Amino acid sequence: MGVSIASIKQSIFRVLEYALAFLVIISLNFALPRMMPGDPFLHLSGEVDEVLTFYSQKQVQYFREYYGLDRPIHEQFLTYLKELAVGDLGFSYYYKEKVSTIILDRLPWTVFLVVSAMALSLILGIALGSYSAWRRNQWQDQVLYTVLIVFSEIPAFLVGLALLIGLAAGLGWFPLAGAATPFAGYSSVWEKIVDILHHAALPILTLTLARTGGIYLLVRNSLGTVLTKDYMVTARAKGLKEFRIRYLHALRNALMPLFTRVAIQLGALLGGAILAENVFSYPGLGLLMRSAVVVRDYPLIQGIFLVLAVGVMAANMLADLAYKYIDPRTRPAAGLKPGAALPLPAGGEKGDA
Amino acid sequence: MNPNSSHLFLEADHLTVQYQTAESYLPALNRISFRLDRGENLGIIGESGSGKTTLAMALMGLIVPPHKVFGRVLVAGQELLALAEEEKKKLRWKTIAMVFQNSLDVLNPVMKVGTQIVEPLKEAENLSEREASGEAGRLLELVGLEKYWKDAYPHQLSGGMRQRVLLAMALSCSPRLLILDEPASSLDAVAKKNLFETVRRLQDKLGFSLLVISHDLSTMKDLTDKLMVLYSGEIMERGLTREMVEEPAHTYTRGLINSSVQAFPYKDLWGIPGEAQPGSAGCAFAGRCTQASAECTEKKPSLRQVSANREVACHRGGIVDLLKATDISKSYRVQNRTIAAVSGVSMRVRHGETLALVGKSGSGKSTLAHILAGFLRPDQGEVVFNDRAVKNNWPACVEGGIQLVLQDPFSSLSHRFTVEDALLEPLVVNKIGTAEERRARIKAALKDVQLPADDSFLKRHCSSLSGGQRQRVAIARALVMKPKLLLADEITSMLDVSTQANLLRLLKGLQNSSGFAMVFISHDLQLARKIAERVIVLHHGRIAEEGSTSYVTEQSCCCHTRELMEAGL
Repeated sequence: MGVSIASIKQSIFRVLEYALAFLVIISLNFALPRMMPGDPFLHLSGEVDEVLTFYSQKQVQYFREYYGLDRPIHEQFLTYLKELAVGDLGFSYYYKEKVSTIILDRLPWTVFLVVSAMALSLILGIALGSYSAWRRNQWQDQVLYTVLIVFSEIPAFLVGLALLIGLAAGLGWFPLAGAATPFAGYSSVWEKIVDILHHAALPILTLTLARTGGIYLLVRNSLGTVLTKDYMVTARAKGLKEFRIRYLHALRNALMPLFTRVAIQLGALLGGAILAENVFSYPGLGLLMRSAVVVRDYPLIQGIFLVLAVGVMAANMLADLAYKYIDPRTRPAAGLKPGAALPLPAGGEKGDA
Repeated sequence: MNPNSSHLFLEADHLTVQYQTAESYLPALNRISFRLDRGENLGIIGESGSGKTTLAMALMGLIVPPHKVFGRVLVAGQELLALAEEEKKKLRWKTIAMVFQNSLDVLNPVMKVGTQIVEPLKEAENLSEREASGEAGRLLELVGLEKYWKDAYPHQLSGGMRQRVLLAMALSCSPRLLILDEPASSLDAVAKKNLFETVRRLQDKLGFSLLVISHDLSTMKDLTDKLMVLYSGEIMERGLTREMVEEPAHTYTRGLINSSVQAFPYKDLWGIPGEAQPGSAGCAFAGRCTQASAECTEKKPSLRQVSANREVACHRGGIVDLLKATDISKSYRVQNRTIAAVSGVSMRVRHGETLALVGKSGSGKSTLAHILAGFLRPDQGEVVFNDRAVKNNWPACVEGGIQLVLQDPFSSLSHRFTVEDALLEPLVVNKIGTAEERRARIKAALKDVQLPADDSFLKRHCSSLSGGQRQRVAIARALVMKPKLLLADEITSMLDVSTQANLLRLLKGLQNSSGFAMVFISHDLQLARKIAERVIVLHHGRIAEEGSTSYVTEQSCCCHTRELMEAGL
């Protein structure tokens, strides 16, 4: 049987959808920085990193011509597209370096934060959510529910500030800024890892606290629903071990909606990471983006936006594709052994030979 | 000890289950006691909500707090309710397994069916993946499916295949008791037949006991030897399936059978009116019963033996014989000859039933009807109505008695009477009620027979009514006396087919809602099988045949019956 025409059509449609989304993103990407009030070369002269350069009117004029900002907007857009097509993200006005180099330098820190926070909040959310669902409406559930709702309602940057003031500035348990101790000569890899974790602890904690509530709620409700299903009675009646009932029958089904949710939430998590990086002066993409916006560094802003947008889109696409394989009901023609096709449709009664 | 105790497999003693709801405990099972022997096939029948599935869950120890279980359940010598959860787990599936009611959700949607079939066995016996997979294939073949289906997911199966997978799953640990919960629901007739054959074949081979839970009569006929009727969590009747289907002893059982297409393929189906009212102090079925007395609403009846194999929970000992006629004979003298109109007829009419008295004209039907109502005195024999001998026509003069509706509405209602006069007459003659009550009652009766109850209609003369209207007035006239038995003597023979159809439906509807018994006298056997549960065929004043409608119309070998059947077709 293989792939039907309908499913090919569907796949083409999907690809077109993503292509269109991508086009919209890069257009916005180009337009948004230019819609901001201000000008890159006026801003080169103030704030940020104590670089105090003043440009004369003539110099500004020179730079505008040099970077092509004097040309009509559609020409600029075409140039942008052309360069993008060959993978060139442009050259930072401010850092005087290739945008791709700067981003690659900062990206790992953000990825580190996001992935750790995601993993931690998943572990916490699933554990607490299942615990709550098993003890639905008992006091343990009610306490957990209240606490986690409260936490998920507090904005991430407030939590971050509180942690920064309390644990870093107040108690001095954690560093105030950065991703590692500057100019530290590590005597071992281990020491380096500890230092990095020490710096990342508060930003990760902030992001985890902000994310856990949503996951907790989803798991609690989803598992709550699964527990009322007929197949749970079946599993129990079969006298299966508690572990099997809870994890293979209940949780396995309950976690499927979580999978898509996590991919969709990746965007929000990135947003949270940008805020957290700024609160903790953590040198990831978020902090970089702030600096880029302040100095109106168009190519850099465009580059960061692009990387973030493509990242979120890719995550969604992966979730889309992977979900089909996680849930057998949406899997295209799950392979039964004799041929790929389903042997017989409804009503296929075999005689009792 | 009981000499049969070595065969005993399961015994429930005063098993009670109460479900916790927001404000109180809802009784789902109320002091159920029964036993099941090895290799025995027991059916539990009842409407939805009667507690059938709860019973199955209780037997598997699956009723968990906050819900409550009381009583004792002895499974293979072990006291189930006293066991710890871990002990119960060891019992589940290995001793008692269940084929759950077929639904899309009954299997885990993301697990291959093969895995689901063998997982209890795999856990119990520590099988390797390979062994388990082989076992899954073997079990699937056992229930008549190809091996490769073990790699399918539940959504890829048809309803019939899912039912088979459920069966394979239940058999995986070779249980000693198999519970089938509504095995026939969602299956077509052919799939059902195949499945039942498979179950019986496997039972011969594996020797498990069977507990079948269903609302479906034909399932019971096909799979069980013994039957228990459950209503509102209480056992109403139990006995041998075959006997109970042919002659139910409880009004509820009869209601179930009367609602079943399998029992009455031709008859119009009438459900049991009303809804169950759990938690009443009296008999749970009292509100829907046709023969309930004061005692029934005050005290719960307990199961009592009424015949060799039958127990009934009814204060009145099951369906009461409303009317009993013994050895009735009547002959007329025409000139010098004696013509026997009725000879040696013995019959009975049970509470709330419809009995058709069928025969050719001149077979003595009308004579018999008049004797039953007390309008004619028999030469020999006795008629007893409600435990009182019928002398003169007393049953016609009292409420809750016998009323006769005759063939010819033109002569049975005086054409000089207004509708009001005709309807008031029996009440006035028998001095029943005040003037106002009488008016209310005749209006209600008119409404019951779907005639206008306004003054202009009441003032019309019977002579101005059509045949159908007149016959309905005649029925209303019978109904104002609130009879327990209505004798309908060829009431439709003078009406056109459409009026006849309307009138018959009306009459059955009234019977179903007010619960009177009816003797429907007709020459038309086809008509009889449309409305009656039992048929008596009269020939030359003698009973030629008697039995349930389906038996008489389908399996009869009596030549008179066949003659009537063929004439009608």
